[in-house]
Amino acid sequence: MSETSRAEADDAAVIGRSRQEPEAFAEVFRRYAPDIKRYVTRRLGPEAAEDVAAETFLAAFRQRGGYDLSRRNARPWLYGIATNLMGRHVRTEVRQLRILERTGTDPVTASFAERSDERLSAEASGPTLAGALAALPNGHRDALLLVVWGDLSYPEAAQALGVRVGTVRSRINRARRNLRRDLGGVNPMAIVREETTHE
Amino acid sequence: MNEMTRLERFRSEVPLPGPADLRTEESRLLDAMAHAATVRPVRGAGRTRRARRLRFGLVAGLAAAALTAGVAGVALHQKPAAPPVIHAENAAAARILTRAADNVSEAPELHPRPDQFLVFTSQTMNTVDSVEQGGRASHYLSRGKRTIWLPARGDATHGVIEEEVLKPHAYPGRPIPPEAYENIGRHGPEKAVDEDNTADYLRTDYAHLSRLPTDPAKMYEHLYIQLGTGPLADARAWDYVGGMLVEAYMPAAQRAALFRAAAMIHGVTVVRSATDAAGRRGIAVASTWKGLRTEYIFTPETYQFLGLRTVVVGPTRVKAPVGSVLTSTAQLSVSVADHAPKVKRR
Repeated sequence: MSETSRAEADDAAVIGRSRQEPEAFAEVFRRYAPDIKRYVTRRLGPEAAEDVAAETFLAAFRQRGGYDLSRRNARPWLYGIATNLMGRHVRTEVRQLRILERTGTDPVTASFAERSDERLSAEASGPTLAGALAALPNGHRDALLLVVWGDLSYPEAAQALGVRVGTVRSRINRARRNLRRDLGGVNPMAIVREETTHE
Repeated sequence: MNEMTRLERFRSEVPLPGPADLRTEESRLLDAMAHAATVRPVRGAGRTRRARRLRFGLVAGLAAAALTAGVAGVALHQKPAAPPVIHAENAAAARILTRAADNVSEAPELHPRPDQFLVFTSQTMNTVDSVEQGGRASHYLSRGKRTIWLPARGDATHGVIEEEVLKPHAYPGRPIPPEAYENIGRHGPEKAVDEDNTADYLRTDYAHLSRLPTDPAKMYEHLYIQLGTGPLADARAWDYVGGMLVEAYMPAAQRAALFRAAAMIHGVTVVRSATDAAGRRGIAVASTWKGLRTEYIFTPETYQFLGLRTVVVGPTRVKAPVGSVLTSTAQLSVSVADHAPKVKRR
């Protein structure tokens, strides 16, 4: 949300224009499609991501008439739509996390094998982390991943999920506590501190 | 390393997609945008349209016509250089056809009486092969806008057609033959066909179509009547689906069954971006037979049928570059009328 501040300053203007000129909506796609697709791919894998990413922008396009033009940054809106659509795939997401937990092999990233260096570095705690993520309540996982992978601030995540900021804050605190607990058992070298989250 | 850092790294090997990785998503959005820009005014009637034989020696074609034609043409205005992406999985095609089935009631339903006519307007492009005086074949792409009145019950000999023949398009590398210009302008109203020898079980008049099964499995059986099995049977069943969509109209229940049955046809694929004869972009389901792909195009938003086209995708008897569009139809409207116009004497 920071490095794109120049571009996102006028998302609302672009969306407003697209109500008269539908083609203008292509700019919204250009700005956010890569991030959205990567985010969805990380959660669901490449196959479902193609559909969810496409549906996200189709839905956004159809809903552009209802977009609140006082919100100049469209990022939370788009992540909210994507999160909503991903809700239909929650079983797939959890199942894939469980496979990784059980087998040590991540079906979601299998097709990105050429980047094995990065994968190796991530792998050590992968299975445990996957199990911990799978065990989270859906709403907690959504909030956590919107912030960590989606780069949304707490207020933006609240906007995306249609809940109050306080709710996001408490969901993320509890999610982090659970992850810490689960990871702590695996990696004794990890520095675990009780810390209060603040935004 | 705390849990947030670990989470940040988790699956971080998933790359940020580039434009090429977003082509599918982009084309679906572009389709929706193009549709919003150009098609909204047509809303209202269900649409259908079927290519039939015209009087002045044109081959007006479904894929079947293209299959047997000795010739090919290319729609220059449709970027033949960029053949659309095909996804080989049937599941995606089934999804589109299922949505089409789910959405049949989006368009208001027509209830023609047996004595009424269904009126279809459409824009078409067809490959024409004609033989010149010296016996040499010449080829071009005939284009037109047409309105056809077909009886709700009975064969097409009572049908009436009016057509505006538009300027022909060239087959690349070939001159447009002089006869291609002979018919430009308005024709009709005239008799749609002189005779109609369609087998009973293949009839596509409303009275016949509204008696077809509403159960998808039974509709599937109907599609394969007298066809047997195998790739040729699949191709013919697919063509028959087109025959029931183009210049034909059936009740919503049968139409939904037809889409679900079509999804069961072996080898059906998805074309993410296809353009009909009126330039409207949509998403298509397709079946390929001997290098020719027959696509049924739907609006990307509401999955209403837009039209069809036939595209060269491999080696075929007709010698045309991959990506050539051989036939193309845009169904613009369907309505009901009490009478067909009086036929002019010729």
